[in-house]
This record gives sequence, C-alpha cells and structure tokens, in this order.
Amino acid sequence: MRKAWLLVAFLTACGGGLEPEPICAPSLVGLCGTVRFRGTIPANTENVFVAAYLDFPQTCSDLIANRQPLIPGSVPYTDSLTLYSVPLSPGTYHWVLAIWKKPGTLTLTPADTQYLRVAGYYRNPADSTLPGRVTVPPGASVGDVDFVADFDHLRPATDFVTCTAP
Amino acid sequence: MHRAIALLLVLATPPLTAAAQGVLRGTVHDRDDAPIRGAAVVVPGTTLATRTDLQGRFRIPVVPAGRVRVHAAAIGYGFVDTTVALTGGDSTTIDITLSPAPLALPPVDVISDKVPHFGDRPPTSVAQLTEQDLNRRAVNTVDEAVDHAPGVQFVNGQINLRGSTGYVQGLNSRVLMTVDGVPMNQGDRGGISWDLLAVDEIESVQILKGAGSSLYGSAAFGGVVNVTTRDIPNGLHTRVRFTGGVYGDPPHAVWRFRDNAGLFGGADVAASYGNDELGGRISAGDRHSDGYRQQDQDDHLHFAGKARWQPSVNTRVDVSGAWAVDRYDVPLSWCSRGECDDRGQVFQPFKVDTSERGARTDSRKGYLAAQVRTTVSPRLAWVARASWMRTHFADLRRSATEFGVGNRFGAEGRIEAHPDSSRTAIVGAEATVSDVTSDIFGNHTQSEFGAYGQSDQRIGVVRVSGGARLDLLAVDGGSLTAVVSPRVGLTVPTDARGPNGGTLRASIGRGFRAPTMAERFVHTTALGFDVVPNPTLRPETAWSFEIGHTSAPLLRIIRLDAALFWTEARDLIEPQGIPIPAGGLQIQLQNVVRARIAGLDASVIVAPIPDRLIATFGYTYLDTRRRLAGDSTSGPLAFRPRHLVTLGADYTLGPVVVGADFRFASRPDRIELEGFVDPRRVPVKVLDLRATWRRGPVEFRLLATNVLNYIYNLVPETLAPVRNVTLTAVWSH
Repeated sequence: MRKAWLLVAFLTACGGGLEPEPICAPSLVGLCGTVRFRGTIPANTENVFVAAYLDFPQTCSDLIANRQPLIPGSVPYTDSLTLYSVPLSPGTYHWVLAIWKKPGTLTLTPADTQYLRVAGYYRNPADSTLPGRVTVPPGASVGDVDFVADFDHLRPATDFVTCTAP
Repeated sequence: MHRAIALLLVLATPPLTAAAQGVLRGTVHDRDDAPIRGAAVVVPGTTLATRTDLQGRFRIPVVPAGRVRVHAAAIGYGFVDTTVALTGGDSTTIDITLSPAPLALPPVDVISDKVPHFGDRPPTSVAQLTEQDLNRRAVNTVDEAVDHAPGVQFVNGQINLRGSTGYVQGLNSRVLMTVDGVPMNQGDRGGISWDLLAVDEIESVQILKGAGSSLYGSAAFGGVVNVTTRDIPNGLHTRVRFTGGVYGDPPHAVWRFRDNAGLFGGADVAASYGNDELGGRISAGDRHSDGYRQQDQDDHLHFAGKARWQPSVNTRVDVSGAWAVDRYDVPLSWCSRGECDDRGQVFQPFKVDTSERGARTDSRKGYLAAQVRTTVSPRLAWVARASWMRTHFADLRRSATEFGVGNRFGAEGRIEAHPDSSRTAIVGAEATVSDVTSDIFGNHTQSEFGAYGQSDQRIGVVRVSGGARLDLLAVDGGSLTAVVSPRVGLTVPTDARGPNGGTLRASIGRGFRAPTMAERFVHTTALGFDVVPNPTLRPETAWSFEIGHTSAPLLRIIRLDAALFWTEARDLIEPQGIPIPAGGLQIQLQNVVRARIAGLDASVIVAPIPDRLIATFGYTYLDTRRRLAGDSTSGPLAFRPRHLVTLGADYTLGPVVVGADFRFASRPDRIELEGFVDPRRVPVKVLDLRATWRRGPVEFRLLATNVLNYIYNLVPETLAPVRNVTLTAVWSH
C-alpha cells in the first residue's frame, strides 16, 4: 500500500503537464518563430536546423562561411509544428531558412553542400516569392518569424547560389 | 428435430398449476440488519431472478413448490446458497443475511445482461459499478463513474474500452451503451449521449470488455456498457439532491482569462410510488456551469420517468423515458498565437479563437422504451421491447450553422430457456430503423435486422458458451450487407472454492460496427478543408481473443485479475486527405486501416483491514499497430495511450468514508490529422480526493477532482478539465 502511494507521489511529482510557452524567451537576443513541416520525412534524415544570413549568399563558400550560427542546433522535426529560436547578433538578416541534413560529416567547406538541402525559408510578407528580411534589435529578440519546411521539395544549394568546383 | 420440438413444448407448456407454485419473498440485509439494495436473488437453473429494492426486499413469483434452492449475493458481500420450503399456492418469506467480503467476486448482472449468469464467471472480462460505487466516488455524471473502471478511458467524451474507439470527432462509437437493455447510441451519429441520464437514476453499470456483437450487433465492436436504472420500490419515496462547486483558476497568471472563479451547480428531485402491482417514478433536474475555460458555459435540463405494471403474477411491463435539453457554448480549439489576445504565448489553452466567439450548440435528446417480460415457466421466459430515441442538435457558429435530427426506432424479441440446471439457451431477433434529417448529413434511413442465439452448457467443471448473430444492413432501401458475428468461450474453475474461487476464462468472438449515416454522408468543412461524403463505406469488423484469470483470495487480503487480449480489426474508418485534380485537398472518411490491438488488462484489489480499508490497482498495456490498405507504412493507432494506470483507496470510519483516485495515461504516440493541428500533447496524471458522510436520510459528498491542477489535453487543442471542488447534499426519504 505504501509503495502504491509512493508511486502516486512519484508520478504526480514528475510534472510534465502543459506549461506556458513564450513565443520568445525574455533573455533571447536573436529571432524565434515556428517551422511548420509538410511532406514525408526522408528516411535518411539526420537532422533539421534553422540558420540565418546577414546578406543573401552568392556562392557556396558564402553559404558555409557566412552562416549564423556557424554550427546551428537541430530542431525537432517529427511533429508537424516546432518552435525555434536562434541566438543572433543584432542586424538585418536577409535569409532565414530551415536546412535539412542527411548523414555525413561536415567539414565547414563548400563540400558540405552535398549533405544539405534547403527545406524552406522565411518569406517576404508582401511578396511570398522572395525571402523575408528580419531585423534583430540590440539586446532583444524578434518573433513571429514563421515559415514552412517541405520535405517533399528539398532543394539543393545550387538552386540558390553558384557553386564552383574547388 | 422431433427432440427439439418436444423440448420446446416441454419448456413452453406451463406445467405448474397455481397450487404447484408459490411466491418467494423476503429481504436481504447485512449483519447489522441494514438492508442491502441491488442484491441479486436467483433460483438457480431457472429464469427466476430479481434484485432487491431500497429496503432490501425482493419478490419472485411462479416459483415451483417444494424445496427451493436460492442464491443471493451483492458486490462487496459474500455469496449465500440456501434452501427454503415453499408450499404451492402460498408465499414464503425468507430473510437472507450477507456478510461483508470485499474480495468476493461480484454477482454478474442478471437483469440487464441478455444472458442471465449468477455465480458463474463469464468467459469475457466484466467490470461492474454499483450504486454504492457511484455514491462513494461522489460523481455527478455517468461518464465520470465509468471513467474510473480499469481498462476504460474517456477521450473528450468518447469511451475507449481497451483502446477500441480512440477519438473520432463524435461521429461514432465502437462501444455500445444500453439502458435497461435498450441500445442508446444515437441514430444518426452513433455516439453516446452520456448526459441523457442523471447519475441519480442509475442503479448499476456493467462494462463488458471485448467484442460483443454476437449478442448485441453493431457498435459492440469493442464492448458494451449496460446501464441499469433504479427499480421502483414499494411505498412512497422522494429524493432531493443539490450540487455546487467551483473551478480552479489557471495555474499560471499568463493564462488567466476571467476575474472571478467559475461556478457550477444544480438540483435534482425524484419521487416514486409503488405497490405490488403498479409503480411509477418521475424525476427532474437542472444544472448550470460557467465552465473551466473561455466560452464554456453549459445549461442542462432533464426529465425522466419510469413505470412498472404487474398485470399478472408472471408478467411485468416496464415503460421508461427521458428527455434532456442542453445549451452549451462550444469552446472549439484553444487559441493559438495570433488568434486571440495571446499575451506573447504560443498558445492560450483557456482561451478560444476570437473568430468563433459566440459559437454554441443547442441539443435536445430523449428516449421512450417499453418492455414486457413473461415468465412462462421456471424454465422459459420471453421478453419483448420497443424503443424510440430522438436526438436533435443545432451548431450555431459565425462561419456556419448546422443541424441534424435523428431518430432510432428499435424492437426486439427474445426467448430465454433453461432446459435443465446445466444449460441456458437464448434466441432473439432485433430490428432497428434509423433516420436523419440534416443539412450536413442529408436525409437518409438505415435499417438493421439481426437474429441471434447463444447457449451455455456446463460440462463437468467447465462451462462452455457459444453463439452467433446474423445482421443485415441496408441504407436508403439499397442492397443488403450481411455480417455474421460468432463467439465461443469457456470458463474453468482453478480451485474448489466455489463461486469465490479462481477461474480461468477464454473467449474468441467477432465484433462489427456499421458505418453511421453521419460517417457515410457528412458534407461540411473542417480545418479549412471540404469534408466529402462516402456512401460506399463498409462495416468495420474485428476478431477479438481474450484469455484471463481471476485468482482466489491470496493471503485473505488480495485478489488478482489479469487478461491478455488481442484484436485484429479490418476496414477501420478514418479520415483521409484526398488530393483533388484542381489542386488542394479534401477530407473523406474511408475504410483504410487494418489494425491490431493487443495488450494486458490487470487489476488488483487489496483489503488489508476488512470493512475499513480497500485499495484497488488497475493497469492496461496497449500495443497497437495500424496499416493502411495498399501501403507498407505502419504505426500505432491514434489516441491510444500505451499505459493506463488507475489507483484507488477508500477508508471507512463510521459514517465517514474518505478516498482517493489517481489516474495515469501515457502520452499517445500518434494523433489523427497530424500536420493540420497543434500536435502538443502530454501524459495524463490526475489525482482526485473525496469524502462522504451519511447519517439517516442525509448524505454529504465532497469531491475534489484534479487536485494538483495538472494541465493536460486528451485531443489536440482541447484543454481537459482543471481542478474543481464539488459539494453534494442528498436527502432521501
């Protein structure tokens, strides 16, 4: 009997109920929002991460070298919707995107693009065919940077930048 | 053939003259002479059975004269097997004393089940709740009471027995509910209106787990909930019940949505009068709730009546009916970011999308049923019943207004026979005609005709039962669809302690569920997509297997029950997204899923201090697999938690009983329409505390549910009830 009540105490003490979820954590300097996933998750998915570029990259080298954060953390992608937040320096970012990665070791060189695909990016609210711009103010964060990542339409880096042979 | 005809003639011929039979009457009480109501009293091996009334009294007519064997038992009391001498043309009175025995197995229902069983354990798992259980748990609605039974989970008002139903947006139920033997699933949508009956009307609830279609037909795919309403005792009786309570505030200030606490309350009154020939009861009740979230007000009004008439010594007529009117706000989905004043939150579970503010549902529903039971002889009885159920709803929203009116007309005839003390046979036929008039379901009719038979035979110590039912279904007068649902089972005692000993049980049977008219013909908009009809839906079917064991009392304080179950289902109906040529998507309900539901259902009852302390533990493990037709992908079924745990304890101290219930359900691995809804979901961890105090005709009940104010949801974007405290006062005369 006592064990049963200990079990009750254990289970109830675990917490785990619904909790408030601020759109942006108060301490965040960067941007945050949601990524809504569509399509079938490829079997060879290793992870998905969100990154940003101050200037739209022109080359494969830009794509790797100018990425912020340089080594982004992955976001949960098995649910249809996930919240994300990315710590960034203040400034105006011209491309915020979700990057899909298949298994493979990254070397922080243009060769990394063989493992990476663009799954989706934040779009200009006035013209959804264009990437949207986001300005991170000093010491604060910007929210509502929401966009869709479509696993059925993963696009290679060469759709966006020019990659030359090393 | 000749033998069968001769047997039927022997059974049907009243062989007993008035002088060769008598009336057995008496009382059942405990050791302190307090009456025991709801106790089962049976003349074994015959059709003669009854229950005791409020004063513990019973009366069984047409009992063969001579030395009569009588069985009596009640939940929580030991079994009594006694013999009484009865003189023909006379009546004999017998007083039966039952001793408390918290580990005694409950006497399986002899009234609401179609096959009378007494003392014998059934080949399938059964959970029973008595009026005392309902009082002790201080519940206010029928579904609250059923929700605490092992292996049962409610998902947003829809009952799941061993994971049968999941959550299907109120469009069907894979569990059948009967009230006094009358099927009560809605004619148009197939769901169960749990608020049709006030909890005060209920005498007992019997939950049959596993496929029950061999006797009950469609909807008994995953099980049957048999509700028995109170009988009408002799004399004048009144009962008044007041309820009041308060909802807890959201646990986080950022979720607050109102300045004052939400309140709820209501009152019920019932009066009855009866004598040996006639009896009647009427009741009425009203309740209001502010709700625990935004746009969640509920007003409910109900009336119920029941009458009995004993036109002759061996015939009884029962007529019952109820009517309920509800007007409730529709909270819809909780507010996601930007849909309301979200205060910088990703979601606001206590608030709703402002674009649907003011949405509400007006609902009216009722039923009328009549039943005649004639005990032709101690070996033969027949039952006939007719029923009409009507439901009406109107969903009033800014975006659309929808309505539906459904009728369900039913009739059933049944013959029960006890050819000898070791055999029971039952044959019957049932017809149901349902219709719907609705702007989203259209105007349609659905007819179902069923014929069934079942026999129980004792062979040595083994009891074997077997039966089958044939159902013919037709929609709008179209072609017939036939479904055959057989079931066989056996029970074997595992020790020599008689009705209180251990028993091994095994059964295999087929269940089915006919698509409801709502599923076939629904045409509406949901989640921004068109939902289109599918008139070609086929019945869902399943083979269900179970093997279980009920132990004899261990160390005199523990009893265990465990069952392994396995269900193979075909043609389950689920919503599917269909690409349309012009681009975009439509939603349609389709027979797309083959599924397996397997698991373990176990319960333990412990009585370390007899008469004082009782503790219960229930655990259900579910392993589900679904496979889409023509697709190799598979995964778990939606809305089925893998682990379900219930813990309960009650301590009695004189007139006071205090208790607690804890419920845990693991986070469902999968939900339906993933990708279109907020996937946020968590495990369920709910602790309830309760206390009752009774003195004479007055009883007070205090119930605090979800005392830890654990915030959770069972279905997407729908907050489950938060902490609330209810005080109930009951006066009975």
